[in-house]
Amino acid sequence: MSSPLILLPGDEIPSEYLPSSSSAPLRLGPGLRLLSQPPSSKPTSSTPSHVLTATQAGIFTTDAKKNAVSILSSPNRRYIPVVNDLVIAQVHHSSPDYFHCMVTPQAPHVVLGQLAFEGATKKTRPMLKQGDLVYARVLSVGLGAGAEVELTCVNPATGKAEPGGLGHLTGGMVFDISNGMAVRLMRASSASGQQQQEDGVAGLVVLDELGKKLEKVGGFEIAVGRNGKVWVDCSNGGDVAVKATVAIGRCLTTIDQHDLVPADQKKLVSRILREMKIEV
Amino acid sequence: MVGPTASLSPLVRADGSASYQCPSTGSNILGSVNAPVELPGRRDALKPEDATVEVFVKPGTAPASVGERYVEGIIRGVVGRLILGRERGYQRRGVVITLAIVGGENVSRGDSYLTLLPALLHTALLALLSASVPLSMTFSATVLSVDAAGKITREPSAEDAAAAKSLHVLAFSSKGHLLLNESQGAFDFDTWERVRERASAICHGTSVGEDGDVAMVESADGQPLEGTIRETVEDQVHRDYSWKIDAA
Amino acid sequence: MASTAPSLTLPPSQFARLQPHAYLLAHLSPPASSNQPSIRANGRAPSQFRTTYANTGSLTHTNGSAVVRVGDTTAVCGVRAEILPTDDIASWSVSHSSSSNTNKRRKIIKSENEEEEEEEEEEEEDPNEESHIQDLNLLVPNLSLSTGCAPGFIPGAPPSALAQSLSHQILNLLHTTRLVRAEDLRVWYQPPSLGGEELERHNAEEQMDVDVDEAARKDGEVKAFWVLYIDIMIVSMAGNPFDAAWAAVLAALRDTKLPRAWWDVDNEMVVCSDVVGEARKLTLRGLPVASSFAVFEADAAAGWRAVIVPDAEEERLIEEGDRKGIQRRWVLADPDGYEEGLSQERACVVVDKVRGKTVIVKMEKNGGWALDGKELKGLVDVSERRWEEVKTILEQC
Repeated sequence: MSSPLILLPGDEIPSEYLPSSSSAPLRLGPGLRLLSQPPSSKPTSSTPSHVLTATQAGIFTTDAKKNAVSILSSPNRRYIPVVNDLVIAQVHHSSPDYFHCMVTPQAPHVVLGQLAFEGATKKTRPMLKQGDLVYARVLSVGLGAGAEVELTCVNPATGKAEPGGLGHLTGGMVFDISNGMAVRLMRASSASGQQQQEDGVAGLVVLDELGKKLEKVGGFEIAVGRNGKVWVDCSNGGDVAVKATVAIGRCLTTIDQHDLVPADQKKLVSRILREMKIEV
Repeated sequence: MVGPTASLSPLVRADGSASYQCPSTGSNILGSVNAPVELPGRRDALKPEDATVEVFVKPGTAPASVGERYVEGIIRGVVGRLILGRERGYQRRGVVITLAIVGGENVSRGDSYLTLLPALLHTALLALLSASVPLSMTFSATVLSVDAAGKITREPSAEDAAAAKSLHVLAFSSKGHLLLNESQGAFDFDTWERVRERASAICHGTSVGEDGDVAMVESADGQPLEGTIRETVEDQVHRDYSWKIDAA
Repeated sequence: MASTAPSLTLPPSQFARLQPHAYLLAHLSPPASSNQPSIRANGRAPSQFRTTYANTGSLTHTNGSAVVRVGDTTAVCGVRAEILPTDDIASWSVSHSSSSNTNKRRKIIKSENEEEEEEEEEEEEDPNEESHIQDLNLLVPNLSLSTGCAPGFIPGAPPSALAQSLSHQILNLLHTTRLVRAEDLRVWYQPPSLGGEELERHNAEEQMDVDVDEAARKDGEVKAFWVLYIDIMIVSMAGNPFDAAWAAVLAALRDTKLPRAWWDVDNEMVVCSDVVGEARKLTLRGLPVASSFAVFEADAAAGWRAVIVPDAEEERLIEEGDRKGIQRRWVLADPDGYEEGLSQERACVVVDKVRGKTVIVKMEKNGGWALDGKELKGLVDVSERRWEEVKTILEQC
């Protein structure tokens, strides 16, 4: 696919863009609709009986593995919780059964069960204070208006914090990034190490680059929330721990704001580390 | 002539936003869309299976009054029919569109809003696109004035509009329907049909009638408005997904 | 389609409440075998208006008033005239001199292009006066949807968006139709030097003042304006409030009488005569009549999950289907409240007839894509017929 297919609502997707071979049913992602042909055009005509129409503006993408098509629309809109998303939430207050947390500032609080932590029982529940950070998974979003969103830090089936790292985030710092950047970072961090591409995954080389440069100071931990938050911790760094944390945050937010290409990302990492006088 | 310019998502906190300038009418509009949002329970918002669309127009210098209520109703009529309010996550929630008039002529009491209406409509549409609100189609709109001699002027300035015999705002969907017509001032039906044809040419770049004069109409009116909308969106998508497009 | 008229086991009134859309659809598309014409649930044909009554002069304490009843929608309109002295208009001296300049320019443009048929006098006064009505807000309509006119209107609520936008529509239509002549709203002062007997009553000082004035303005000067407060109350609301409200405004303005007013030089104020015989009526320009329509679509409920939007081209095919008897949408004239709740697309046409020629003063459509050129043309024709009806009604009252 040389030029990307950019669609506006109401545009029909040309059939040549659709994955044709698979016998499996085509999965429609967000932004696409299957509109049956209106009754006026007679079924005798040779046109296909179904037309896919865009309902949002964005790039048309296909996923050959899942035989799915979807539209990537404006990446920087407000985060709307979707089941199974990983988010970084901040505890606002607690009630006997729940912690009430903030995921996006504009939206109502979400709830996180006091016992929805690994190994938590009535006796050993975590004592989270106001302002504490939690890395959690969206358990349910409810239906209809006024529904509550619920988070969890364990897999209800196993009682373990799956995937690893869910739970209270201690130390470190949180930086705000755009939602689009959060998605890219998640893909980049989950894929890093597995395959070495020239341009990195999702156009991001910053994490690999930082990882290499900060190896000497003990590396760093990172958690990315879909809600546009990234948590960074360098607690092994000793003297430079705070400096390194801030440097990573600066790298990520600058790349996000200026849409830097991989080469510029490498330059930026070196420059910021130099400016902050971090030994590499 | 100088066409309108627009940009998407100038506001960071809103779900979607757009700014729009039309040099010929002098209007400059900033719009934001928040959707889906929880609406407080209200008697008139209880459509169990559909989203409620709310439009607010804020004039530049005065508090909003009856004229704004009226134009809000028009905009709600147009976009309300295009928003797919039954999509998942939108039922019983609200789509709130706020349009602020940040520059250009002021509309005083009892004046018609018609010269500003296309700019307001375009801003609302672009903000909705920027907020990824599901729509069944897009549209484009224009305002035309007809003077006493029957000459049609595209997007007249406030003085031209005041001197005109009749004023017409028309909006066409991307599929060619006439979505909106607001005409005022004395005219007859033949005049209106000429206005409709010209407006259709401005919005879509092709005249409905004979094919012979298509090229001429295009050169007189520059790029069709539909194309401007599409380009604005494409520019923004290219910016947002440059990493993806460059890599491909 | 033929199966949409099942045997009813509940009374029609309940069916109408439970399944309003199906109920109206069943009325409009009777089974082909029955050979019945499509008829609305309220018994009217699609392009039939409700019975209209008008009565003027019902309120005694106003300068003009009217009650117009269109079916169950009733509008009461009262016109109250108040005097606005030019001394109280802050921008008067400035705007008056500057506006006369701009108006001259506009006048030239106008007179070049204006068709010759236009009445002479109208053309003369035209440019200046119109802007006075608009600039000085000489017409102040206000519409209120009174408590209890329909179940949704509860006491103590602020004016609803509907009431506000109707007020604006009426004001806007008063301006664009130039219904009221600014000349009628003016209180002139003729300097006394012209008339001999008036001269005697003035002393020398005043004489001098007047002379100064006279140097500036030859003819005399405007000392005050009448401001018309047009209050409309929708007493009962059963759909289509605009037509009723506008008809009430029109009837009330036709009924309005302004007392004779003049500038009293000694007291430096405007005084009015209480002699009924001296009061004069407004001379209105034309008789614009509003007709509203709603479009009822057969598939509004079918698009429960997906709204399928056919192309404009495909629309034409659907129209072809219309002619073969499969009608999908109906344009309903003068919709009542029940029908308004079931339709999204609205249209409003205001027409006037000048010497037998139809002039469209306003044409609006919004909220859908069923009406285009051909359909609007049809609506204009219907509105012309309606104009004749309303004219007769207003002339008789």
